[in-house]
Amino acid sequence: MASWRIPDALVARLYETARADRWALPVAPFAAALERSAGNTFAAEPDPRALERHLTSLHLEDLALACACAAGHESAWEHFVREHRPLLYKAAAAIDPTGGSRELADSLYGELFGLAERDGARRSLFEYFHGRSTLSTWLRAVLAQRHVDRVRSARRFEELPAEEAPDLARASVAHQPHAARYVELMRRAVVAAVARLTPKDRLRLGYYYAHDLTLAQIGRALKEHEATVSRNLARARRDIRRDVERQLRDRERMSPSEIEECFAAVVEDVGSLDVADLLGGVRKKSQEDRSKERPEGASA
Amino acid sequence: MPERDHDRSVEHVLRHVLPGDVPAQQQSTCPDAETIAAWHEGTLRAEDAAAMERHVADCPRCRTLMAAFIQTTPVAPALESFWRRWHLGWAVPLATAATAAALWIAPPNTPQLQLSSRAASPVSVDATAPATPPPALSPATAAAEPSAPTSAESLQASGAAVTSQLRKSLSENESNLARLADERAAADAAPSTRIEADKRERATITAAPRAFAAAREAAAPAEIVAPGGVARWRIVSGQQIEWSPAARNEWGPATIEAPDVLTAGAAPSATVCWIVGRRGAVYVTTDGMRFMRVPFPEMSDLVAVTATDERTATVSGDDGRSWSTTDQGRTWSAGQ
Repeated sequence: MASWRIPDALVARLYETARADRWALPVAPFAAALERSAGNTFAAEPDPRALERHLTSLHLEDLALACACAAGHESAWEHFVREHRPLLYKAAAAIDPTGGSRELADSLYGELFGLAERDGARRSLFEYFHGRSTLSTWLRAVLAQRHVDRVRSARRFEELPAEEAPDLARASVAHQPHAARYVELMRRAVVAAVARLTPKDRLRLGYYYAHDLTLAQIGRALKEHEATVSRNLARARRDIRRDVERQLRDRERMSPSEIEECFAAVVEDVGSLDVADLLGGVRKKSQEDRSKERPEGASA
Repeated sequence: MPERDHDRSVEHVLRHVLPGDVPAQQQSTCPDAETIAAWHEGTLRAEDAAAMERHVADCPRCRTLMAAFIQTTPVAPALESFWRRWHLGWAVPLATAATAAALWIAPPNTPQLQLSSRAASPVSVDATAPATPPPALSPATAAAEPSAPTSAESLQASGAAVTSQLRKSLSENESNLARLADERAAADAAPSTRIEADKRERATITAAPRAFAAAREAAAPAEIVAPGGVARWRIVSGQQIEWSPAARNEWGPATIEAPDVLTAGAAPSATVCWIVGRRGAVYVTTDGMRFMRVPFPEMSDLVAVTATDERTATVSGDDGRSWSTTDQGRTWSAGQ
């Protein structure tokens, strides 16, 4: 909560803009929500114009609805249940089509209602909504957050998988005397090459190779057209390949035939270690689905 | 080993090293749900969005979270091209309309009708001469008939009959088209995704074949063209933007989270475009693709914008007021 106050006239104007009177929401809790939002954005008391700009840029109608729901106003809850709860369940089904996330959505719904009590007062998850995004997007983000945390929590109790590098090398060692070294060199070279890419390239690669998102999903995440995603993935992979070749040649002083052996070593059976399984939470697409939309030049 | 095989090797390794082995370049706490949501909606400030991107790229937890989040994102209905939307439902009536228009333009106000170039010596007939049409004469048979020797009188009668038949046919076509237009308009009234311009276009096309080309042009989504035509944007369905970079005639969806109706735009360069809309909606893109919401102090319905670069723009409301910014909306001055 901010230690300074928002001018009453501005609160009144924002209250009107938010149509908070629809929920018979008193001005005081709405003003408190605005102050929480401003306090979350500004460390110190901001310039009045900056404050006004921030507050007017908020999703005020959603903020008013969240305030009213947090305060337990019946008409607001009816509206929320009618408009947003179906979206919540739909999002849960999208994350886990087997129904595993439905329980999570129910739990989240309970938190929104305010089952948890602190100091005898009902605390609603809505109090963490500050209007910087739409309510529906925030709900989906909270749901995804809970889902990932639950999966990671569950993983703690499962047997840890083997280390990745040995797994990469395991199958190859038997066939080639230098395989283990070559695989490790390749792994280090690829890691170094990936680190030199832009954050967006790394993100794109992560979505595609670690999380098995489709090109369309990556496009939605990065606001790119599918074709652009495909082109950029192909370019990033090509950049990595050239970088790795350069590292092996210049840093490791490898001959062309040794470089060939390095690349060949990792194509051998690399085991079944699956990064998405390690992290969990992301539905694996079948190889058939992926083969339909491989980025330009990607191998089968 | 060809490059393709090297690429395959790289892919194998990528699948194993991406989650945790990429060194984190920035140590920061994971963002809260609202920041993630705002990032996805494109409402974070540019520097905050860049910081988010860096963090998520190197934080396995946040990347996994985003991967899950993206799967909850409702898929927007695919944007069909104007032509695809338009032609499927209207191919038949429009083909009829085009035929009718071609016939209409030729006969009604021209004093003479050329029946056939295959006649031994072309014979002109008075198209307006009253005559009793032979009962079974159709335009097709009329066109085929003249190869046989005919008298001027019979040709005159035949010509009048053809004209009459054509007009009747045209009249029926028009009434059918008007009826179809009404039916289509009624069917289209329900889905909110259909834009009003489409409906107007269809009604115009069917009501007056001669105005077809002009109507189609008028109903096409308004384009915002960068200087030199190096890039174009257009407002589709009131709340979406399509982008055609590098003067190509290929349109792809740009990213804009616009809860309000968009009304106008201005593009001072190939990658910068300003868009305004109702209830004080102002957006700008600096990469052509991703539109960010620009803070605006009023809830006015904005109807026009002019811009000189990514920071400087003047917007106008439907009440005649205007506001200018020189710092991409951080501050606005009224009445300039």
